[in-house]
Amino acid sequence: MFRIALKSILGRKARLVLTSLAVILGTAFLSGTSIFSATLDRTFNNLFQDVFANIDGYVRSTEVVEGDFGLIERQRIPAETVQKVLAVPGVADAVPDIQAFARIVGKDGKPIGAEGAGPPTFGSVAVEFKGALWTIAEGKFPSGPKEVALDESSAEKAGYVVGDTVKVIAQAGSREFTLVGIASYGDVRSPGGATFALFDVPTAAEFLGKPGFVDAILVVGDGTRTDEALANEIDKIFDPSAKVETLTGAEITKETQDDIGEALSFFSIFLSIFSVIALGVGSFVIYNVFSISAAQRQRENALLRALGASRSQITRSMLIESVVVGLFGSIAGFIGGIGISKLLGVALPALGFDLPSGGLVVTQSAVITTIFVGLLVTVLSAILPARRAGKVPPLAAMRATALETTGKGTKQLLIGLGFIAVGIAIVGAVIGGADNNYLGLGIVGVFVGTIVIGPNVARPVALFLGRPAAALRGVTGTMARQNAARNPKRTSRTSSPVLIGVALVTAVSALAASINGQISDIFTEQFKGDYAISVSAQGFGGLSPSLANDIGKIDGVKNATGIGTALAKIDNKGRTLTVISPDTIEGNYDIGLINASYSSLDKDGIFISRSLAERDNLSVGSVITVVLGDAVPRDLTVRALYEHDDLAGNRVISRETFAGTTVSSFDFGIYINLEDGAENTAVRAALQKAVDDYGQGKLLSRDEYIDEQAGQVNQLLGLIYGLLFLSVIIAIVGIIITLLLSVFERQRELGLLRAVGMTRKQVRTTVRWESVITSLLGAVTGIILGIGLGWVIVFALRDQGLSSFQIPIGTTIFIMVMSFFVGLIAAIYPAWRATKVDILSALNTN
Amino acid sequence: MTSPTLTVAASTHGATKIYGKDDSVVYALNDVSVDFYSGQFTAIMGPSGSGKSTLMHCIAGLDELTEGSAIIDGEDLSKMSDKNLTELRREKIGFIFQSFNLVPTLTADENIRLPLLLGNKKGNEEWIQRVIDTVHLQDRLTHRPSELSGGQQQRVAVARALASEPRIILADEPTGNLDSTTGGEILSFMRMAVDQLDQTIVMVTHDPVAAAYADRIVFLADGKVVSEMLEPTAEKVLDRMKSLGN
Repeated sequence: MFRIALKSILGRKARLVLTSLAVILGTAFLSGTSIFSATLDRTFNNLFQDVFANIDGYVRSTEVVEGDFGLIERQRIPAETVQKVLAVPGVADAVPDIQAFARIVGKDGKPIGAEGAGPPTFGSVAVEFKGALWTIAEGKFPSGPKEVALDESSAEKAGYVVGDTVKVIAQAGSREFTLVGIASYGDVRSPGGATFALFDVPTAAEFLGKPGFVDAILVVGDGTRTDEALANEIDKIFDPSAKVETLTGAEITKETQDDIGEALSFFSIFLSIFSVIALGVGSFVIYNVFSISAAQRQRENALLRALGASRSQITRSMLIESVVVGLFGSIAGFIGGIGISKLLGVALPALGFDLPSGGLVVTQSAVITTIFVGLLVTVLSAILPARRAGKVPPLAAMRATALETTGKGTKQLLIGLGFIAVGIAIVGAVIGGADNNYLGLGIVGVFVGTIVIGPNVARPVALFLGRPAAALRGVTGTMARQNAARNPKRTSRTSSPVLIGVALVTAVSALAASINGQISDIFTEQFKGDYAISVSAQGFGGLSPSLANDIGKIDGVKNATGIGTALAKIDNKGRTLTVISPDTIEGNYDIGLINASYSSLDKDGIFISRSLAERDNLSVGSVITVVLGDAVPRDLTVRALYEHDDLAGNRVISRETFAGTTVSSFDFGIYINLEDGAENTAVRAALQKAVDDYGQGKLLSRDEYIDEQAGQVNQLLGLIYGLLFLSVIIAIVGIIITLLLSVFERQRELGLLRAVGMTRKQVRTTVRWESVITSLLGAVTGIILGIGLGWVIVFALRDQGLSSFQIPIGTTIFIMVMSFFVGLIAAIYPAWRATKVDILSALNTN
Repeated sequence: MTSPTLTVAASTHGATKIYGKDDSVVYALNDVSVDFYSGQFTAIMGPSGSGKSTLMHCIAGLDELTEGSAIIDGEDLSKMSDKNLTELRREKIGFIFQSFNLVPTLTADENIRLPLLLGNKKGNEEWIQRVIDTVHLQDRLTHRPSELSGGQQQRVAVARALASEPRIILADEPTGNLDSTTGGEILSFMRMAVDQLDQTIVMVTHDPVAAAYADRIVFLADGKVVSEMLEPTAEKVLDRMKSLGN
């Protein structure tokens, strides 16, 4: 039997290749992403090994404030600590390190680097030092308040050369410097695509943050003792209350590597989600191919049965075939994966991530995982078709037709409807108040049910969708329509990848549209000013608080208020506080204060949201202990409650609270009210000039600002397009395979049609429309399912403030058009093959 | 039947078809020149491998001659492109095959009109109705092939071959898959098409009973025309076949 199985595989190389294609696609994504992640991990490890190579000790504060979304702010240490460290025996040299937000403004007046979504933008220190993190590639180290050095990649991107004047924006505002040096970080021109403006120590301390404080101290030993001994020696000079620690060179290297590893793991989890989807959808294609090939070999198998082969022998023979296909496909997929990872390595730098150089890292586990998973998925997908193949009655050998059975499938229908009913019941229960966690279960139920009843609905839906084709294309359209409907099982399985992809895309874009609408409503209600300056810095950096003051002085401006955030520890939990300027916010931005005015918020006060007050049993007059970035506990008294917590969050403090401390705070937006009767265009021009001089931020009218804020959700679109792209590729491959197999199966019919006068062009039209109908079938079902799914997700997020559900009409239309083209593209090769059918041999095959 | 008024519907001149190369050449057709007349029912007979199917395929433009020419309605097929050949088959030739004559996804009516539909032509509705009446298919028109018996399917095939009023109908063992009663019925319809509807039919068969329905029989052996017979009967055919077999 094993020999027969092998012969059967080799006898049909085309089928082997087609089946493997589905396996290859799934495994290529899997191995590509894992190779890429491993490579990235290794190269970053090498980079930091390199950068910290000469550092023997690293002194820093132990105090960390953690905010939402993994933001952290480490307390700074006094600058004079450097002198103390220098005096420690065994220390050869020590320099302070400062790293804070700064943006380099390009020659065109716009800050370089992607706004918001891109890698971070830093200001830091570059000094001549044995353990220096930065080396100068060209020019010299910056010295004095007028000099700056830039990382190589940023300098090149902005077209700056040594001697140019460069504008840099930081906490203290925006300033111009002379470019004196181009620096590189280890062997890369900029780490991970981040931009760096580098200064000498005093300039960095003053311009980037609070003067008199540094982030850390880099220490080089004199070689008389080990790093551990040196670290102990340094630690001795600090009182425990100073909350300072010393790490060895190895420790800081390891920690930085781990940090970046964690950041990268997020990235690789994201990539593996994509490969899991690819593999899952690919398994449908594999299942479909094995089903079709079992059906096409029905007579052959029946003959074997008649000649004495047992059921299990037939089944086994097919499973052997699946093992061969799985192995072949996984190995080919693995090789393809190397290509994909190389592609990612090329694509990412093009998108602005400068990656350290390094060869591909192909781990043994990547090889084993890919082949194991590919094999497993293939064999699992082949089990059902193989069992079905074994069940063929020997009598079938005598029958003329070898079509797949197209029974009514009442049992399937009932099972599928059962799944859907249970799924809907669970969703209903959640809507009725059950825990949100059950939603996933309900969604899976509906999805599984839909796919199970697929064959039952495929025929009527395909016939319905095929109507325009039949009406437009006459008999070729009619045949395409009937062909799409003639084997509902096959059609529904073929359209499943389209269905899944479209459902995911529709659901995500429904979510995006709903969030979009919601944000728009919120801003319309709360933003009362005429203009806004926005910056899409996400949690790191933003506009200097000095900008709002400058804007407020412009003629015609009634008031300009900046709103920012600050990290804090409250009851030992990291919180993000909203920072306002109480004297200018009135009438400009409305958080819905309850019976109070903004002026009641003083240095020692805090506003909290009504919902927080209710939850924590707080009221006006309660005292909350807040630890800001300077690690100093402050007792703040609740001065008032407010209604709108969707943007402001639960806690609002005044800028005054931390004035003059090392707490860093940036504004994410500046809101501007004009004087009554101010001349709009003139004021706008003046505002625009102020923004241009500053070098960062976008001046927007009230309506523009609201649109922009709502539009930020469109970053979700990146995810949508990724999903769309992936599912489109798999769907196309799936349709190509099925159509090709159908064309082989319908050779005689094609021969007959050609004989009685069907032209090649008409043959192509028939195949093409069948393909389009199949694709649209998946799209229509997917859209319905996706809208349902989107609604459910939006409902689940109602506690997060989402209250209105919106159908993404644009995306829906786009998907329909897209799936039409998917059908067309997928049909190209099969249609060509169909025209190549030899009439005579087709008519003579019996 | 052979009278001076006969016109030629299709003919071959020195038709030669060679398979294989060099040492192993096989002459499927060896210098065959034959005329098929309008309004006649001609049968082509011969043992297996005599080249009768090849001859028919070459007349139909389904196969290419190595040498010589096949002519339908005055047009030389060897000079035509694939597209022109397709249109010729659609407009001037009707086909009846041994089996698998119908497109399973189309109704009987659509199958009958298939060549016209493919050519985007309406056809002669009066004629089509007459054809449908002749083969008694009025009440089966909306059925799919899978819902028809073998005899009914072949009747649909006959109707399809007639529907576009072709210049010539080519039938390849049209009764080969049918029992003798149903086969006789089909042959009677074909006979009727010639006598009453003035059609031209060329049929390949190895069945003397079927051949006896024809006006004229052309006998082939080893790729050559070896003899002809007019007004055949089954007995006469059987005798001739025996003599050819020797």
